[in-house]
Amino acid sequence: MTPTTPTDDTELRAARRDRVFDAMATVGLDVLVLARRDSVAYATGARSLWTAGSRPFGPACVLVESARSIHMLSSWDDGVPPEVPFEHLYGVTWNGAVLAGALAGIPGLPTATRIGVEAMSPGFEHMARRLAPEAGLVPADDLMRAVRALKLSAEVARIRAAVAVAQAGMEAAGAALAGGGGPTAARVAALEAAARRGVTVPTSGVAVSSVGATGTPVHVDIGLLVDGYEGGVGRTLPGADDGAPVVAAQRRLVDACRPGAAAADLRDAVATGVTRWLVRGSGMGFEPPVVSDTLGRGEVIEEGMVLSVEIELGGMRRRDLAVVGPVATEAIQPAGDPRGCNPP
Amino acid sequence: MNGRVGGDLARILAERRTDPATVDVGRMGRERHARLQAEMAGQGVEVALLLHGPNVTYAAGLPGVQGVDVSYAVFERPVAVVVGGEDRPHLLAADIDPTLDVERHPAAWPELDEGAAGLAGAVGEIVGPLAGRRVAVDEQSGAMLRAGVLEGADIADASHVIGAAKLTKTDDELACIAEAQRRNEEAMAAIQHTARAGATRSEVAGAFLARLVEMGVEANLIDPIFQPMPRTVADGPRTTTDTVAFPTGVDDPTFGQGDIVWVDSGIDHLGYASDFGRTWIIGRDPNAAERRLFERWSEVMVAVLEILMPGVTGGDLCRAAAAANGGERPWLPHFYLAHGVGVESAEMPLVGTDLGPEFDDRLVMAPGMVLVLEPVIWDDGVGGYRAEEIVAVTEDGWRHLGGGHRYPPFP
Repeated sequence: MTPTTPTDDTELRAARRDRVFDAMATVGLDVLVLARRDSVAYATGARSLWTAGSRPFGPACVLVESARSIHMLSSWDDGVPPEVPFEHLYGVTWNGAVLAGALAGIPGLPTATRIGVEAMSPGFEHMARRLAPEAGLVPADDLMRAVRALKLSAEVARIRAAVAVAQAGMEAAGAALAGGGGPTAARVAALEAAARRGVTVPTSGVAVSSVGATGTPVHVDIGLLVDGYEGGVGRTLPGADDGAPVVAAQRRLVDACRPGAAAADLRDAVATGVTRWLVRGSGMGFEPPVVSDTLGRGEVIEEGMVLSVEIELGGMRRRDLAVVGPVATEAIQPAGDPRGCNPP
Repeated sequence: MNGRVGGDLARILAERRTDPATVDVGRMGRERHARLQAEMAGQGVEVALLLHGPNVTYAAGLPGVQGVDVSYAVFERPVAVVVGGEDRPHLLAADIDPTLDVERHPAAWPELDEGAAGLAGAVGEIVGPLAGRRVAVDEQSGAMLRAGVLEGADIADASHVIGAAKLTKTDDELACIAEAQRRNEEAMAAIQHTARAGATRSEVAGAFLARLVEMGVEANLIDPIFQPMPRTVADGPRTTTDTVAFPTGVDDPTFGQGDIVWVDSGIDHLGYASDFGRTWIIGRDPNAAERRLFERWSEVMVAVLEILMPGVTGGDLCRAAAAANGGERPWLPHFYLAHGVGVESAEMPLVGTDLGPEFDDRLVMAPGMVLVLEPVIWDDGVGGYRAEEIVAVTEDGWRHLGGGHRYPPFP
């Protein structure tokens, strides 16, 4: 058996953890209760079994600001980093009384005056009010989003590595189509290419759809989770050449995603004839900001964000992740890609 | 024994297996809606506001889980609103399938502050002011809490309404589960040969995912588990129960010759989950001690199935399983002897959990309940055998859901 090993870079884990605790201190949260896999992964670096879709709300992770301690729902220490001691794990339970007992034993929780929750269910609200009768329960999803939105350089490196896996999937899909295969063969090829690189979990997954009845061209969109971070790319295959209108339209939209840009600036950059577009955050999955024709009021693009920039024009789609730098934004594309949307 | 008990199990499962049935999606939705309405009326709930994917699937017929990660499922989540006394549910979502029998509304984006404000307006248009009314909700996003979407409402836990409605399944729901399981078994049978010495877990998982696509399966629900198991508990990760850790979903091990590998996966069919569990051995047949594990597992299965019928309690099933295993409870203590499956991969009825013996004794089997039986036989030093079979309780006993996949390389 492989021994228990740290599943995330020690310094990256520490930096993310500090950001979360610092944010808790800034807004005066004694305790933060996280429920979602991606949030727990961000705060703890723990790796866990991937399952599709939403889980019923439950306290998967409890952070106590005063001790800067992390307590986690896990029945074993496999995948749990060393800074979360075994004594801080509470096992899987089906019994609310058992869970309440475990939470009551977390130092700092019963005496908390402000508890942040990522979301809320009636059952957990009832439990929390009994466990910490003096505490106010406040929504703290916005705290996690603000912390996660601005990426550390080590996170950007992870995202670039993740994009490379998605791009390998796209190449494999393109080769399958070029070899005479249909949409199913393209999807299989992309999945197998990712699996050969050790990647079997999706964010959005591998979606392939035929544009017309003949089978080609096809839209291929790939979103994968690689070492905790999302890699994504979308193309219509066979691909557009460098002079295609969709390439220029994406270049213009990527260029508009510069620090200080508001939703209106992005809308202004969307070319005439664009039939669909979406700019939204990417990191450990789908993240805010979300900007479209109808969404994004009040959002401002900031340096350090990583954005998924998706556009469709003339029946051709393109999606790339882009890193917002101090003055300009760069799409994550293979160096020297003649069909890339970055300035030469 | 030599395969006799395993053969006995396969025979009694085959005797109780019915041919694949056609699913009437429209009828399935109408019957679920009627059950939800009945539970809402019985529990005094006027409105149900549902965000959790499987609950939306149950209420509005939309396969809520499309095989995407939680972040996509949450941000792009459809929302269902069920109003007491109305003929059909309301669905707030993008690109709603034109065949769904729902009242259509634009997507709500309840995770975003601007979306939550819009949701409050949309719900108000559907049902009027919520203040003072009994409203069941499964989960509220932070944005919904900030926007005060349910301000002044008498909030109830929607899991009580949904849980009661889906405790027993309709024939169409059972057909969905059976078809999901049949396809899951078929895909696993097709790729078992890829689990050989030197292969990595991700290569085998990739072969499985590719096979699902080739078969036209809508969605995979769990990163498929192919976990090499230790021979002793002490050789595995430390656990809160001092038993073997499974399923951890961590690392990408390379299989070695002779490894015992526990396999677990689940796929979607029309919103319903399968649950495939088997024990594989890499590159060889099981030895005598390993075969004995399988025989004991089969004996437990036969003992449970022999008594399963309406009126039997979960406690009775636990006692039958333990009696067939020399008095010891043959399942993982953090899990169960059996669990239900439906729009969730694990749901009520739960049998043998830490809810305790009194709970099990109060849990009375009824027609339409589904049980995924997953006993585990562990012999420290030899290792363990674990597999799963799905059955549905019928008027006079039970029937098997699935395609009859055997237990290779076990006899």
